[in-house]
Amino acid sequence: MAYKIAVGSLDGINVDLKFGEVSEFLIYEITDEIRLIEKRKVNSVKADNTNTNSTNNSDNTNTNSTNESNNTNNACTNGSSHNRCCGNGNGCGSQSIIPGVTLIEDCRCVVCKKIGFQAQKQFEKKAITVFDVDTSIDDAITKITAYYAKIDSRKHSHNSI
Amino acid sequence: MAKLLDRQRYKCALGAMQTVQAIERALPVLNSGPGCAQKLSDSTGSSGYFSPNIFPCTSINEKDVVFGGVKKLDSTIANSLKVIDADMYVVLTGCIPEIVGDDTGEVVSRFNDADKPVIYAPTAGFKGNNYKGHEQVIDAIIDQYLTPSDDKQDGLINIFADVPYQDLFWLGNIRELERLIKELGLTPNTIFGYRRGIDNINKIPHAKYNLLVSPWVGINNMKKMEKKLGIPYLHYKTLPIGATETSRFLRTVGEFAGVSNEKVESVIKEHEDYYYYLIERYADLFLENRVINKQFSVVADAHYALAITRFLVNDLGLVPAKQFITDDTPKNMRDDIVKEFNKLNYGLAADVSFETDTYKIHEAIREHDYHGYPLILGGYYEKELTEELKGNFLNISWPVQDKVVFDSFYAGYAGGIRLIEDIYTVAVSRFN
Repeated sequence: MAYKIAVGSLDGINVDLKFGEVSEFLIYEITDEIRLIEKRKVNSVKADNTNTNSTNNSDNTNTNSTNESNNTNNACTNGSSHNRCCGNGNGCGSQSIIPGVTLIEDCRCVVCKKIGFQAQKQFEKKAITVFDVDTSIDDAITKITAYYAKIDSRKHSHNSI
Repeated sequence: MAKLLDRQRYKCALGAMQTVQAIERALPVLNSGPGCAQKLSDSTGSSGYFSPNIFPCTSINEKDVVFGGVKKLDSTIANSLKVIDADMYVVLTGCIPEIVGDDTGEVVSRFNDADKPVIYAPTAGFKGNNYKGHEQVIDAIIDQYLTPSDDKQDGLINIFADVPYQDLFWLGNIRELERLIKELGLTPNTIFGYRRGIDNINKIPHAKYNLLVSPWVGINNMKKMEKKLGIPYLHYKTLPIGATETSRFLRTVGEFAGVSNEKVESVIKEHEDYYYYLIERYADLFLENRVINKQFSVVADAHYALAITRFLVNDLGLVPAKQFITDDTPKNMRDDIVKEFNKLNYGLAADVSFETDTYKIHEAIREHDYHGYPLILGGYYEKELTEELKGNFLNISWPVQDKVVFDSFYAGYAGGIRLIEDIYTVAVSRFN
């Protein structure tokens, strides 16, 4: 089963960036082998690209879940435009977090040095696992893929019974 | 083939956090997923200075499964030592860290030099139930905390009996056993409950004898203490309830600990006189055969199933139907326990079934002819069944939902009277 892993790294060797510091995510694709397939830029202008998405979402190929996320996204940006919507320091994280989260929502998990509570919650909603670890990319990916391989083989054996 | 187990009467080994909690000022530090303590805690009598809702926990999550949770455990222990004032810290491992392979023992050993003792017990759920977990905690104390002593105190005797919290009457029972042992002129030492705690744990190696009152739980602890601390043990399999068993208990302990015969008999006589005075006063109630049921079944762990069966047969003269032992007794202990059920007065023997599945227990009770309405002493699961069979029901084993027990007890002479009161209260209220 192919899946993608998003990694926050500046030097391409260590997981050395916090989630908020990442300017481009390294996207690894795991099939039979592990390949770095993409460097995905985080758009620092917050709501712009998501807004264009949501205007033409009805006849787009977007799935339901992305529609929903766009909607909540709008609600948050609307809210924060006149007031910080959730009342705590970062609002509900709409300013900087949501674009980063949506950007890598096709990945199975995200690996960064640190990931804040609000971002973790957003990933949780999308069933994306968060690994905040201080280690090398190589080590992280090896351990994560070994773990997923075990889970996936178990699922398959269950189905076959 | 996957099997379903219907309403079992035990929890996973991590349930032994309640054994730790029963030791005053001992703190369980859980190396487990978040929510384990919440699910395992009984809401009855478990609040206080430490309670399951505030036990420190590593809250292992997916990240720790992939990358190992050792660092988190280290910081959880270190911070527990800083923030929580306890006398002993007992790290208990749940399933996840043991499946992943985290070396809890190694992490705990880093705290050997801490001001307070830090020990650990492997209590992963797949290793067994909370009866087994209870043994693991006591084992951990023996292995990692206690050291042998040549300074033996005359007459000092350690008593281990019920599994705290799993057994509703644990506190009252252990206190009553203490009182009885004291009357023989011995000095009892127990570690659970009010004002026992670490001081009494420290006394364990100075004892001359160990006394285990339990069919099987704790026998491995006794063997371990005999080997490591050189304390010989007496394994008394039946919790003494009522005059017949309690007198036998006192004679056995007296003989084991070298108490003079006259002393033992004088203690027994005093208790028995009062006991039978009470029984005599209510003889008319006992002889009124419409009141009480002809046959009974006990559905409980081996501890209570054995104790109550022997009491109801030997003291009250009731006839045993099938008895159900629900604690998943280890297979190698079962034959010995069955033998105890066969040594009843009047040449009676009770049929015993080791069964953890409530559905099967209920089917067996339904099928049996009780020659009238049955008397069922069991967990709350039996309440509805007994109502359906129009029988009499008393909740004596886990789960307990229809009574509150602070420190009352069924052990000893007085406990026997309490149990008769409880049973006959149910029986007579039927007619009123």
